This record gives sequence, structure tokens and C-alpha cells, in this order.
Amino acid sequence: MNLQRRNNIRVGGSGPATMVFSHGFGCDQNMWRFLVPKYEEDFRTILFDLVGSGASDLTAYDRNRYGSLRGYAEDLLEIIGAFAEGPVILVGHSVSAMIGLLAAVEAPERIGAHVMVGPSPCYINDGDYAGGFSRADIDGLLETLENNYLGWSSNMAPKIMGAPGQANLAEELTNSFCRTDPQIAAHFARVTFLSDNRADVPRLAAPALVLQCSDDVIAPRTVGDYLAKRLPRATLRLIENTGHCPHMSSPAQCIEYIDEFLLTLDVGHDGH
Amino acid sequence: MMATDTPPLPDEGALYDGAACGLLLTDPSGVILKANLTFCRWLGLQRDDVCGTHFEKLLTTGGRIFHQTHFYPLLQLQGSIAEVKLELLSATGERMPVLVNAVRRDGGAEVWHEMAVFMARDRHAYEKELLHARKQAEQLASAKLAAEQAAQDRGYLAEQMIGIVSHDLRNPLFTIMLGAASLQRSNLDDQAKSYLGHITEAAQRAERLVEDLLDFTAARIGHGIAIECKPIDLHAVVAKCVEGLRIRWPGHVLHHLSTGTGTCLGDSRRLFQVIGNLVGNAVAYGDASSPIEVTSCISERECSISVHNQGQPIPPEHLSTLFQAMVRGTD
Repeated sequence: MNLQRRNNIRVGGSGPATMVFSHGFGCDQNMWRFLVPKYEEDFRTILFDLVGSGASDLTAYDRNRYGSLRGYAEDLLEIIGAFAEGPVILVGHSVSAMIGLLAAVEAPERIGAHVMVGPSPCYINDGDYAGGFSRADIDGLLETLENNYLGWSSNMAPKIMGAPGQANLAEELTNSFCRTDPQIAAHFARVTFLSDNRADVPRLAAPALVLQCSDDVIAPRTVGDYLAKRLPRATLRLIENTGHCPHMSSPAQCIEYIDEFLLTLDVGHDGH
Repeated sequence: MMATDTPPLPDEGALYDGAACGLLLTDPSGVILKANLTFCRWLGLQRDDVCGTHFEKLLTTGGRIFHQTHFYPLLQLQGSIAEVKLELLSATGERMPVLVNAVRRDGGAEVWHEMAVFMARDRHAYEKELLHARKQAEQLASAKLAAEQAAQDRGYLAEQMIGIVSHDLRNPLFTIMLGAASLQRSNLDDQAKSYLGHITEAAQRAERLVEDLLDFTAARIGHGIAIECKPIDLHAVVAKCVEGLRIRWPGHVLHHLSTGTGTCLGDSRRLFQVIGNLVGNAVAYGDASSPIEVTSCISERECSISVHNQGQPIPPEHLSTLFQAMVRGTD
């Protein structure tokens, strides 16, 4: 199995420390394009697509392996093991923040710090815990996914490829950033939105920055507060932003908070 | 002259408000800044209620998640997105399926999103039916596959059972035949000898049946019938076989005819079996008073064996099923 091809891994930048960027449910590594150029100046950067998303190897999508977030966490550890030296700084959006959490609980020495963008340990409401959604809401999402192929058709599947860093996108790449085999998308949606990782939250030893949006339908503020309270070494930063993708809509604000966080760590710009 | 007689065309404002689709302008986060009357009418809302609302708030919860995970990132990355199907919630809570197109308008300091919304009720109903039909087809296909698998498993199990049982039957048969052979050497009256003859014959027949069953199961399970070919004297093999069969069926006349010379490749044991089966059929179904002819023939290109008997021909309607296992014509 070729890891590089499986996860469409792109290594860039240069610096003493490595930052790994892991995208969330829906699209692919292109989500990071407003953030990554800044960090390529001082860090080695690793971008990749989760198996089943973007230009990953769809034939590697095993419903058992990816039937829980642990499969993705194993992939992440494989990628860090093969492409990085020493502990990395992981920037994970949404579900990838939890994938990073699981990976860190499994191998704490591999991830030195976590930047969690719009994280949620559990999307479903449960007693006092307000995740924001009911089971029926998730079924509604599956229905919406079913209604939208976004440029997918089975005969084009093998040709799908991402085009990171290319500003001029060819017409045939329309929607490619979010194009996924509908059955994989539905399965991934189920695995993501029905996951409950609250038990692992207090087990994260490394420092974590939680970037919480002020008005986010997917990760409401109550969830950010929950994480800030229960992560042993959390820093919570609120971004005035509507939506779930501050790294796309408010990249400057994200960079400011991430830089501030990086300065508190024993890694970074000057290779301390 | 014509121009002055023609009534004036509607102005842009009227065209915008009365357009045949909903038209929206939002800020980059999705807050609606402008909306045409068509859109407001569809939702059953006043324009003042629509403007200032976040577009996302008009969607179902599933649609909101999709908006954040797909719609917004694509609009951000591509600058446009088309044909996304979402459901709007009207003032009365009714779900209205719509298709949405959006473009990102970069006005220098300001960025706006322009959206066009099309009602898609009939299309939605049609697509629902297609999806339903596809799911039904998938269910049927998987049920059929499961049934086939179950039937295959049952068949395989049955064949294995036959194999095991027939194999185990050999031991008691061997004991019977050994006992009968020992008794043959002792002093018996004629009646006992006759009984013993029947016992021996019946045991031999049962043994042949077991052999056939084993071959049958081997062929069915996929191993095929094992054949060990080596150079043989075909005429001698057939002659010896016919000799044995004459002893088995003393009431019938068996002729062996042979033509041609040379050696051929064959498995004597299997040839015995084949000739035995065919002659057995001839004895069972043929005219008992006329002879049965077994012919072995060697030509330059091939060797053949045929068994010929007199009697009622096999009815033509049975010819097609003649070689199926466990099938026979009427007695």
C-alpha cells in the first residue's frame, strides 16, 4: 500500500518543526489554502486527504476500518510516522480535531500540540450535553447528501483528482474539492456525526488551542466551552464569525490566534 | 413610428422583483441583504422579515450542515456553485425543495454572494421516486444474491453429505462381502447357497452404487472425476470387462466385437465402469432375448467403445434429460 497515494499527501514548506493539516467532513485539503502559505515559510507542512475524500485512493476505503474515527486516527499516525520527524503540530478542522485527539491518546509522543478548528466531541444532544443535533437532523443531512451529487457520477470516479495550489482550475474540476462517492459520503457522515469522543477528551496530555466560531451551526459555543473545560491544557479563542470554516472566512484572525498559541509552545519560528 | 406605439418594457426593478426565480444578495457570511418578491412570496414572508436573516436559518437542519460542509467551502474555493438541492422552510413550516445557484461577487472592499433559487417540487418528487426505485432494485438484488448463496450452500452441503455417507457405507459392505466369501467356502445346502448368491450380488451392486455416488459428488463439488490415462490394449481391456459382465448377468448374451489395432491412452478402471453402466442399462431396459454387443474400435485418430442392444428405443422427449443425474425415463 502506497501511503502517499492513499492519502494524497503533499509535503511543503521548510522549518525545524512540522505542521500537519487535516481537513474536515465535506471537502478536502484545498480547504487550507488560505492558511497554509503563511506557515510554509517557517514550518514543514503536510497536507493530506482523508481516505474517501478528495483525491485519496477510494479503493482503500474499507467500511470496517473507517467505521469509526479510530481508522482515520491510525492513518494519521502512519502519515506522521512516515513523513515527519519528532512531534508535530496538528491543525485539525471539525471531525479531524477529534481524529487528532484519538491519535494523541494512542501515541502521545507523536503530536506535540493541537489546533482544533471548530471541534466537537459529540454532535448529538445527550442529557445535559448540548451537541446541537438530534438523530433526525443527521438523517436529514444524509437525505441532503443523497440529493446532491456535486459533479459525481460513477463513470468519472477514477478520473477525479485534486489540484492543490493551482489558482486556475479547469472546468472539469468543478466541485472536485467536495466531490465524493455518494455512498462513502453517506457512510462518513454517519461515522462523523454519530461519533461520541467525550470519554477521550480528558486524556489529551498535549496543549490544545480551540478555535471556536461565535455562530457555528455545527459546533455551537456550548461545545467549545465544554471542550475548554475538559481538555487538560486548553486555550479557547472565539472568532467573530458565522459558519463552521473560519480558516476560509477569517483566515487572518485564525493565523493571529494560532501564532499566539505557537509562541507558548517550545517549537516554532526560530526553531527553539 | 413603431417604437412610440409599443408599450415600454418593464424596468429592472420590476424584472428583479417579479423574476421567475428567487433572487438573493447576501454578505459573505450568508446574511440576506436583498431579496426579490418572488422569493419572499414563496416563503410567505414579508421582505423586511427576510432581509437581515441568515440564509442558513431558512434551511432544514440537514441542509444547514450541508451548507457549511459543502456549499460554503465550494463557493469560497470556486467562486461559484450550481444546482445544489436544498429544502427551504416556509413561514408555515412547509418544506420547499429548491435548486440553488450562487456566485461570489468581489466588489473590491466588499464581497457579496448572489443567489438564484428555483422551485423544484416536481423534480424533487420525481427524483424521490427514482431513488426509491433504485433502493428497491438494490434490495431485490441483494435478496436474490442471498437466496442464491443459501441455495448454493444447501447444495454443497447435500453433496458433501452424499460423499461422506457413501464413503462410510463402504466399510459395512466390505464386511458383508468378506462374510459372504467365507460362507461360500463352508458346507451349505442349495437353498442357503442361493441366498448367499443373492447376498453377494446385492452387496456388489450396493458397492457399485457407492462408487457411482462418490464419482457423482466429486464431479459436482468441482474436483471432477479423476482419470489416470496410460497406454492400454483397448481390445484386451474390453474383452476382460465383457468376460466379467457375462458372469454378472448369466441370463444375457454378450458379444465383444473389435476392429483396428494399436495402443491407446485410457483408464482401464474407468472404462470398466463406463461399460458396466451401459451394459447394466441394456440389461435393465433392453430386450432380454437378443444379444448385447460391445464394440471396441481403434482407428488412426481415435478409439471408441459402443454398447448396442435391441428393444424399445428411448422416447425422444427423454433425450434432453438423459444425462442429468437422478433422472430416468418411465420404467
